[in-house]
Amino acid sequence: MNNKYEIVVGLEVHAELSTKTKIFCGCKNEFGAEVNTNVCPVCMGLPGTLPVLNEKVVEYGIRMGHALNCTINRATKHDRKNYFYADLPKAYQTTQDDVPLCANGYLDILVGDETRRIGITRLHIEEDTAKLIHADEFGGTLIDFNRCGVPLIEIVSEPDMRSAEEAKVYLETLRTILLYLGISDAKMQEGSIRADVNVSVRPVGSKEYGVRVETKNVSSFSGVYNAIVYEANRQIEVLENGGELFQETRRWDDAAGKNVLMRSKEDAQDYRYFPEPDLLGYVIPEELVENLKAELPELPVQKTLRYMNECGLSRADAETIALSKDKAVFFDACMATGKCGPKLLSNWVLGEITRVANERRCEISELPLTVENLVDMIALIENKTISNAAAKTVFEIIVDKDEKPADIVKAKGLAQISDSSALQTIVDSVIAANEKAINDYKGGRTNVLGFLVGQCMKQSKGQGNPAMFKEMMIAAIENS
Amino acid sequence: MDKLYSLSAKSMKELLDKKEVSSVEITKSVIERIEKTDKDVCAYNSYNFENALKNAEAVDTKRANGEALGALAGIPLAVKDNIHVKGLKTTCSSRMLENFVAPFNATVTDKLNASDAIIVGKTTMDEFAMGSSGESSKLAVAKNPWDTSRIPGGSSSGSAVTVAASQVPFAMGTDTGGSIRMPAAYTGIVGLKPTYGTVSRYGIIPLASSFDQAGPMARNVDDLAMLFNAVCGRDKMDAVTKNYTFDGYGDSVKGMKIGVPKEYYGEGVQPAVKERVYAAIETLKAQGAEIMEISLPSTEYALAAYYIIQCAEAASNLGRYDGLRYGFRGSNTSNVEDLYLTTRSEGFGDEVKRRIMLGTCVLSSGYSDAFYKRAKLLQQNIAKEFTDAFKSCDVIITPSIALTAWKFGEKAGNPAEVYAADICTITLNIAGLPGMSVPCGFDSTNNMPVGFQIIGKKFRESDILTVAKCYENAVGGFAVKEF
Amino acid sequence: MKIDIRHIAKLSKLSIPEDQIERFEEEMQAIIQMVENLPEIEGKATAVDTENTMELRADEVIPSASREDMLMNAPQTAAGCIVMPKVVE
Repeated sequence: MNNKYEIVVGLEVHAELSTKTKIFCGCKNEFGAEVNTNVCPVCMGLPGTLPVLNEKVVEYGIRMGHALNCTINRATKHDRKNYFYADLPKAYQTTQDDVPLCANGYLDILVGDETRRIGITRLHIEEDTAKLIHADEFGGTLIDFNRCGVPLIEIVSEPDMRSAEEAKVYLETLRTILLYLGISDAKMQEGSIRADVNVSVRPVGSKEYGVRVETKNVSSFSGVYNAIVYEANRQIEVLENGGELFQETRRWDDAAGKNVLMRSKEDAQDYRYFPEPDLLGYVIPEELVENLKAELPELPVQKTLRYMNECGLSRADAETIALSKDKAVFFDACMATGKCGPKLLSNWVLGEITRVANERRCEISELPLTVENLVDMIALIENKTISNAAAKTVFEIIVDKDEKPADIVKAKGLAQISDSSALQTIVDSVIAANEKAINDYKGGRTNVLGFLVGQCMKQSKGQGNPAMFKEMMIAAIENS
Repeated sequence: MDKLYSLSAKSMKELLDKKEVSSVEITKSVIERIEKTDKDVCAYNSYNFENALKNAEAVDTKRANGEALGALAGIPLAVKDNIHVKGLKTTCSSRMLENFVAPFNATVTDKLNASDAIIVGKTTMDEFAMGSSGESSKLAVAKNPWDTSRIPGGSSSGSAVTVAASQVPFAMGTDTGGSIRMPAAYTGIVGLKPTYGTVSRYGIIPLASSFDQAGPMARNVDDLAMLFNAVCGRDKMDAVTKNYTFDGYGDSVKGMKIGVPKEYYGEGVQPAVKERVYAAIETLKAQGAEIMEISLPSTEYALAAYYIIQCAEAASNLGRYDGLRYGFRGSNTSNVEDLYLTTRSEGFGDEVKRRIMLGTCVLSSGYSDAFYKRAKLLQQNIAKEFTDAFKSCDVIITPSIALTAWKFGEKAGNPAEVYAADICTITLNIAGLPGMSVPCGFDSTNNMPVGFQIIGKKFRESDILTVAKCYENAVGGFAVKEF
Repeated sequence: MKIDIRHIAKLSKLSIPEDQIERFEEEMQAIIQMVENLPEIEGKATAVDTENTMELRADEVIPSASREDMLMNAPQTAAGCIVMPKVVE
């Protein structure tokens, strides 16, 4: 990237909401159903049909609005956006124009060591389109209306991001918030989050924005990153070669890793917005708005900061836990017991537990492992009843069975021996049996210490306290 | 019994209740009447005779078994061809939907079925309800029974004609800017456009969604009320409908205050029409009503505001006819863009194209502020004037239309003049108010029927029907064309 | 105000034959004329009429329609879908 230029990025993010039914009719809102089975005259846009707004869509929109620190427009309405496209059966999309549900918010994101505040211009609710399936064997394109009418929120940011990395973090943070709020599946591979990316470049230090180009149809985190880098480079190259940029719309081709011109400014769509005459306006009760605000859970950035400041976790660990609702919920539940400290807990959550969940391709919440058993086990490590090695044996059991770690330790004889006279006997016998190693140690090859402690552990069948072995071994050799 | 078809719905009901006739007998009489006369008046796009007889038989059986019956049990009626009746075509008198079969019922149809009414056919109309003469139909072109060389009025032309020609006692029409009231006036029958939000729009192909309202057309006030009562009320499928129950009506106007707005009696109104409407007002005055002159100054801007909003909504509503999913498919199908163009250019008539373009224009970038947004503000002002006027009166009376039925083709090529004829009726749609056209004699120059319009407060259909009933009694009933 | 019929027709997805352009233009112009006579009025229409509002729907599933009914008016179907000419992006 040419460092004479600064990149300016704004994102329009569409997320499908996980309501039971579609936005304007009672058809099921589900992914992967057989084609054209979740359809009715309303979502097929048959003549004479009318929309009836789903209250949950409004509620979900308000929740997200609160999470993004927006003003909620309690008196709101819907509008038609008119354009012809084969996936739009009414030739208009029922969306919101001049009075969006939420507006004027912001989202703080953590980029590098910095907290960056990204302005949120607006958030509105609207309907998704049908799906076109290109099928040459049928001599044309097939239309599946199952997705048509699935509720969407569109979140429009200010042009406040200054790099592809920031945009990626912004999108990841949004995705996590959607999951925390439980209002979207937020699965990019199923297309439930999609982004349009607005990019411009300007000479470093310039206050004026450059010519903005929109790239549509970006549907992965890496896609967002790549699309921004690609477009910024394209613009810089044009400028460096003395060319002129035009306000235009381009389409991202993820497979090819590049964008192509979709329409120039001259062909800009004239959407002819006007109020949806099939609906009236509505006023959202203040109480509902306030209740939804009160119910707002702690969000990922706040969590990260709390894990760092109050739990003493590293930035990387704090963020890894906070950005995964699954990990964070489990971590917080364990902390809430007050039975264990955060550091060892985070090691286990990010280590063994994540490993097992990944192997089984499931969420932590779906493992048979209980919060109670895990914290009990960690407490046993912390009070030195068991070693880390013994803990692994315990974990292999509690991850699948609801057995008390203390019982397992007893039954399997896993308790760590910290009785110094018992340990001294073992140390003495190891010294007696390893004369060469002792001499090597005395000759300066102190790294044989590990071998000697290992021998002690072996003799104690893993139950000796390795730290004590180490200490006693050094003392014994030096005093001999 | 002779001429069962010509009876009022109320009389049919009485005879049916007394089991003096069966629904099958009435339905057969109606079918014969339609078969005999429809070639002359062309009220229908399609008939539903086979089902009608089957349904009549079922109602007769229910009655014989003593089962509970709906309020319209066994009485035949017709519905406008923009109202879905599952399994029948809904054409909107357009080539675009010539072969479209409704896959679901309109809520109005469900309510009629629940009332055990017998639907005998789908009546013709102006194409997509765009017109006030009936001439823009691309299928049947209905003719005025009083003089078949003249227009019956539109857009509910077929519904007006089938009632006026005594084929059925009543019919359902729809009204966006006068489409029930104008043909009612032109054909000498009563027609009610209810308050916006009292009758469900679900399953009715829209013209302008924020103005459209379905309503009854009949030869007398009692029949009209009977049909209205059967179809009104909140529908969860139509978000704009309100909890509404019809309170019934009286027959005395004693002490009622009737406003007469001078702006509706201007130069554009033919003297013969004015004369008849003033006579009607005198009749009501003689019945004890208090008459007062009022003013609605924004009326002169209503026409422009109406056409801007109507065409804007219509253009948007008609975008879906693109040849992909249903309806007419154009001749060039090699790619989607050409398919759109050929489908819409071949499938829509000129009047429809004209309004689509007008509607597209008024919303397009750079024009929206000057046209659409200004029209919305005018709409608010007009509505407010009515609200203020109703502080001092109970109902308002105006002519239903400025003129009487003209000869076919007489006004072709002059859409602006034809649009101007709507001036008396459109203001109600703009303000969402109820209004009814009531016959008040004949134009002395051409012997065609004249109608006056009673405008009520929102959801006060009862007031309107009380005035209409009082007038009907005072004049000894309305003339029926022997046909 | 001059109306560009060709541009409006394009936006409306209508093709108007060249020999009819003038007629449509004249007819539209007559209607536009009415609008131009409107008074300049102050103010802006209220965006949301809080006196006349609607009820929202509960998020409850209503059984969907049969696919057969939903596709019965389609000019061409295959594999449970409507078939249309290939969309070239």
